[in-house]
Amino acid sequence: MKETRIKGRLWVLTDPEGNLYDDIDTDMIFHNRYLHITDVSQMGQYALDNLKGWEDFAQKAQPGDLIVAGKNFGAGSSRQQAVDCFRALGLGAIVAESFGAIYKRNAINSGMPIVALPGLTGMANEFETGDVLAVDFETGQLTLDGKTFQAEPFSQVQMDIYQAGDLFAYGKSLE
Amino acid sequence: MGHTFVEKVLARKAGLENVVPGQIVTVRPDKLLTHDNTSAIAAQFRKIGVDQVADPTMNVIVLDHVTPAANETYAAGHKAVREFVAEQGITAFYDIGEGICHQVLPEKGHAWPGGVIVGSDSHTPTHGAFGAFSAGIGRTEAAAVMATGQIWLRVPDSFRIVVNGRLPERVSAKDVILHIIGDLRADGADYRSVEFAGRTIQNMSVSGRMVLTNMAAEMGAKNAVVEPDDQTRAWLKGRVKHGYEEVFADPDASYERVIEYDVSDLAPQVARPHTVDNVAPVTEVAGTPINQALVGTCTNGRLEDLEAAAEILRGRHIAPNVRMLVLPASREVLLSAIERGIVSDLVTAGATLLNPGCGPCLGAHEGCMAPAEATISTANRNFKGRMGSKEAFIYLGSPATVAASALTGVITDPRGI
Repeated sequence: MKETRIKGRLWVLTDPEGNLYDDIDTDMIFHNRYLHITDVSQMGQYALDNLKGWEDFAQKAQPGDLIVAGKNFGAGSSRQQAVDCFRALGLGAIVAESFGAIYKRNAINSGMPIVALPGLTGMANEFETGDVLAVDFETGQLTLDGKTFQAEPFSQVQMDIYQAGDLFAYGKSLE
Repeated sequence: MGHTFVEKVLARKAGLENVVPGQIVTVRPDKLLTHDNTSAIAAQFRKIGVDQVADPTMNVIVLDHVTPAANETYAAGHKAVREFVAEQGITAFYDIGEGICHQVLPEKGHAWPGGVIVGSDSHTPTHGAFGAFSAGIGRTEAAAVMATGQIWLRVPDSFRIVVNGRLPERVSAKDVILHIIGDLRADGADYRSVEFAGRTIQNMSVSGRMVLTNMAAEMGAKNAVVEPDDQTRAWLKGRVKHGYEEVFADPDASYERVIEYDVSDLAPQVARPHTVDNVAPVTEVAGTPINQALVGTCTNGRLEDLEAAAEILRGRHIAPNVRMLVLPASREVLLSAIERGIVSDLVTAGATLLNPGCGPCLGAHEGCMAPAEATISTANRNFKGRMGSKEAFIYLGSPATVAASALTGVITDPRGI
């Protein structure tokens, strides 16, 4: 069984004015000039390198770190590299107010934990880069300095795929 | 209580009496669309450990993103796709030059009312213009669909967007959808099934309806649909060679939101850099200098789009400092445009004709921008860096607005030309 409760250091994706970024699109996460790369292990170095103020994210992030972002994270293209680049970096989870529809499926199907926290933008000041956040995928509870936030728990299919590893491993487990 | 389009089509496909939003269902799609990314998907497919795709007649593969290949890497990708197609006995394969996947798929009869289509491209909702359920997926999923012939889907909540009013002259479907996205924002329809209805839509051509469903992706929609009518049936006649069962939302269906627009006084709309929902009437951005003007893409590369541009440029010449690119969405569109003299009109006016395909829309080739340059394009996406330099600017507008702007060298209201 994989861990359903994780803890990690936060990167709160804010713009130069200090506001939580909404609508971080797939070109900001993984720019189109790297689309010819097919080896997942080579994708991490380019994560967020087209997001103003976060160009050096890949150098700073450590395995197990968590991302916090605003609404509609991963809007745009269906490119799975925008999920795989974070898997390559070994991030623990992405917490956002909401996710782009295809991005959400790509993340679930590749076993990358994503957690939607409705109303996150309104309480963005509760989260700071460097804070340590605990996330329970099963209950959706987030804990930070004794404060708790109720996010959406993993759906059954999301948990099953996550536990198996990815969609392929999940499919094999059903045979 | 009645059901929305998506509830009915997914229930039928899943073999269930009815389904509710939020429910997870497993269905067998009628078609799986993939493009140049088939090479990566095929590589993932091989990792699964099955030799044969579940159903070679499910696959529709179109090479369109970087065609002809711009360099050795792309050429190797295309070669891998051709080999995969031959090995798997896939018949619905369209090589370079046939056109953009979202144009070629319906032209070749792979979209029909009540059908279920998934595709490894975010603009797959386009095919909802034919009354199909059509949604974008990622490449892991596409590989899994190839292997199993099945996909899990969460039944979306539904929005009904009702558009009424007669569109003013030189105002078109593109202006309608930009206005709606500007209003609802980039995440306004996140994971929703969007039904477009109303008098304006009924009177709109199939080509115009495809603009709406194509761009619904830019407000996060899972799928978008226009219910089939005589226009749809006429368009599909001779293309779809089998019967189909049309699916309509029930009149008493329950919607999360019903949103109404009256477009009788709508001005041409422009999306400003760097998000599609940063929309303003053209009058607010008129006068902004441009270096490049593009008519084409899966959003606006059809005959009526080229005709709208030609109507403005016929007998005139574009501004000396502007590069104008025209990319018909398919071979069929290109041939019709040649026959009707539209190609001649545009090229005589100074436009550069490119081959049917995605062209520079995704920044790979055929018209990328240098820093500080600006393009006005009929495409669907203006993300920072999408067409080359991250320091360049992309404005989105209708074919008429793009043509009017090419003529003057600055963003121009087509109603005044």
